[in-house]
Amino acid sequence: MMKETIIVKDLKKIYTSYERIGFFKKKKTIIEALKGISFKISSGEVFGLLGPNGAGKTTTVKILSTLLLPDGGYASVMGYDVVKEASRVRKVIGVSLSVEKGFFWKLTGKENLKYFGMLYGLDGSKLNDRVEYLLELVGLKKLGVVDKLYEEYSLGMKARLSLARAMLLDPPVLILDEPTLGLDPPSARALRELLVKFAHEDKKTVLVTTHNMFEAEILCDRVAIIDLGRIIAIGTVEELRNKIGEKVSLAFHVSIPSSINVERLVEVIHVKTGYDLSFVSENGRFIIKALLEPKEVDQATPRILTELHSLKCRVNRVEVKTPSLEDVFIKLTGKKGF
Amino acid sequence: MGLLNIVKSSIMLSLYFYKNNKANFISMLIWPYLMLGLVVGLGFFIGDPNSFKRNVGLDVNPLTFFIASTIVAMSSIDVMWSIAGSIVFYRWVGVLEYIFLTPHRMSLTLILSGIPSYILNSTMFLLVLSPLLLLQEGLALGLLKLAVIYIALILGMLPLIGFAVIFASLTLITEEEENFLQWLNPLILLFSGAFYPVYLLPWWVRMISMVLPSTYTIELARLTALMGSPDFGRFTFLIGVLFGLTLIYNLFAAGIVGHSERLAMKKGVV
Repeated sequence: MMKETIIVKDLKKIYTSYERIGFFKKKKTIIEALKGISFKISSGEVFGLLGPNGAGKTTTVKILSTLLLPDGGYASVMGYDVVKEASRVRKVIGVSLSVEKGFFWKLTGKENLKYFGMLYGLDGSKLNDRVEYLLELVGLKKLGVVDKLYEEYSLGMKARLSLARAMLLDPPVLILDEPTLGLDPPSARALRELLVKFAHEDKKTVLVTTHNMFEAEILCDRVAIIDLGRIIAIGTVEELRNKIGEKVSLAFHVSIPSSINVERLVEVIHVKTGYDLSFVSENGRFIIKALLEPKEVDQATPRILTELHSLKCRVNRVEVKTPSLEDVFIKLTGKKGF
Repeated sequence: MGLLNIVKSSIMLSLYFYKNNKANFISMLIWPYLMLGLVVGLGFFIGDPNSFKRNVGLDVNPLTFFIASTIVAMSSIDVMWSIAGSIVFYRWVGVLEYIFLTPHRMSLTLILSGIPSYILNSTMFLLVLSPLLLLQEGLALGLLKLAVIYIALILGMLPLIGFAVIFASLTLITEEEENFLQWLNPLILLFSGAFYPVYLLPWWVRMISMVLPSTYTIELARLTALMGSPDFGRFTFLIGVLFGLTLIYNLFAAGIVGHSERLAMKKGVV
């Protein structure tokens, strides 16, 4: 039976910031980063916190990592309260908060791992063996870069090293904030495969945050969609898809002239056709989407195509698919694009 | 996960830095001589070696006095940087969160990871300037004086730890990226009499000097120049003062550090 390893109940966090508006005057701004979120994660599960920037993902991760105190609610990891038993929590978690930094630039990958291993309590041959094993596991040994300075690492190598550090104490819980952010597709895939192995074979709990829908879809056993400090949906990808019923996703892959604003374009087509549209940008290209009843597809496709052509957009491809997590996200958050 | 591991990892980190940053290491070897040049230069600005002897009323070697001042001044800067300055450095590099993920109190982690670096650097400053002192004083007396300076460095570090932790807390809470240690450290040195003797400073600066631990550390180290004279008896008095300040500063630091740690974690500045 799967054991619940992370429990979050009605977690709240408020940030207060002060903006200087004069020599002696400061303007106080209160931001409710978390408005009472709740979820549970079990061992052997990859759980994704999915949401746009500023949704509250990193705040949640920092609270669970004991680096930030909540203003309300409760959170525990492996049964330990993250506020009252922070030092116990730190012994059972492996954390990666950013793949871009977090290591000493003038140390090699191996030296960095050895330093953190010793800082976290490993010693002697146990430390050396663990470091060697992890460098092998994350593929840095194979790349032949373990003795290269960290400053010479590519982003993919840095991400692998960050995962290796999180694994130093072989913790039962991994908390990873955007672990594949900025990685090239092969590196991201390799990392995802490792995470799935940790969860499904080694029965660890893996909590990842991401704003990459595709990643959440292929990596996570369950997903919580978080937006503006609230969890708006939680479940398996399939369960979340079911939330938008029997609809299909009609996707137009388009190239838009630089003089046209995509948000404005979507609005114009909506006004002219009546269909609710959203967009996603991918490497400078756009996908304009409509969630439709299956019977509407035949009628909607030519109408939207005509409008796109009239606005000088080149349509490269049209797809009709079952809704993705992205569609679910857009539907649930009411956002037009991201 | 013992506390000893924090100390050991810090030594490891310092050694890796020395190994991988050879230019930085070489500059560390040159730096004490540059600092000594500055201290001697300022000393000559006040008066020549004979006027120095007249001022102190004893036939002592001014260069020994200046070497001791230099080592202590540099080490005083170093203890502040090793503990309080490390927060800025760790934050800038992006490792602060991962260092605080050790299962110990943040302040304890900071202190224990700062001390080895301080001891290593102070030892290095001492070793770098030791040939000059040995040339001045001869082997036997020179070694003895080096030992006295080293004792002063270690004893002087104790109250400065509390002092540094207080500033570390402030650095953590205020999210200072441009560390105020940059201007605070030279002031501490000036007020402690590293450049000018304290009695030559204005009265209000002398008041501040009295509560600065580095004032007594510098005086203690300078006493090496007076070794063999009756004034050397002040040695025990100064040690007593340093122990007193250690108690006061560290108790004060212990009092505020828990509060500031909590505030930092509440603000989310780690």
